[in-house]
Amino acid sequence: MRIVGITACPTGIAHTYITKQKIVEAAKECGFPCHIETQGTIGVEDELTAQQIAEADVVILAVDVKISGENRFAGKPIVRCRTEDVMRNTVGFLKKIEAKLNSRK
Amino acid sequence: MEELSIRSVLNEQRIDLHLKGQTKDEVLDEMVDLLFKDSVLSSKEQFLKDVYYREGEGITGIGDGIAIPHGKSDSVLHTAVAIGRSDHDLEWRSIDDKPVRLIIMLAIKSVDKTVHMKLLSNVATSLCQRDVIEQIFVSEDKQEIIELFEQKGGKE
Repeated sequence: MRIVGITACPTGIAHTYITKQKIVEAAKECGFPCHIETQGTIGVEDELTAQQIAEADVVILAVDVKISGENRFAGKPIVRCRTEDVMRNTVGFLKKIEAKLNSRK
Repeated sequence: MEELSIRSVLNEQRIDLHLKGQTKDEVLDEMVDLLFKDSVLSSKEQFLKDVYYREGEGITGIGDGIAIPHGKSDSVLHTAVAIGRSDHDLEWRSIDDKPVRLIIMLAIKSVDKTVHMKLLSNVATSLCQRDVIEQIFVSEDKQEIIELFEQKGGKE
């Protein structure tokens, strides 16, 4: 499962980056290629490329606030949740998404 | 160009490895006091209010016994970090439902687009790393703790 995603939180300084780190590590553990963009106080970092988005099987939006550029994901399966939902059990969270995607095929 | 060193936001005066507070409220007060006494805040009361406001927006216990209460506030004179460790478990809303012993408090100046913000996000990222977590729970050396974040600061 190829993942792209965005993380964002109210203060834009802590949860945004912790959530990204947790997703990246869990994806690595599961062997999922993964690219996560952060939209924090310091602005957008690791901005997703059109190619990364095109290749992705799923878009994870772990966001507590409004984000920009959602139109980039038109037509893609999107999983939207709060940062704390992802932080809780990140590997389990990703596996659940994978199972759901597989059941659709 | 400002130097990207953790030392511009963290020093020994802002670290307390044996917090006295017995509850979350007492510990938050104690840590805000650390920042206030080190001239980071213009108003202790206002910053504390902002920290509680953020607590209300979501969980700050990030698991593994760590919490990251933080506030973005007009009362913050310059962006800074305080580190507190308790010898006993503190009840805290946490993603793994476990009590907290280590508190990393982030004081964020309302309008701050400087390199300090990057440093704070690096501190947050470091707290996901097993080796950092292990050391920060046992070290009695404040300089060692600062160096721990300094080493990790520049890395992704």
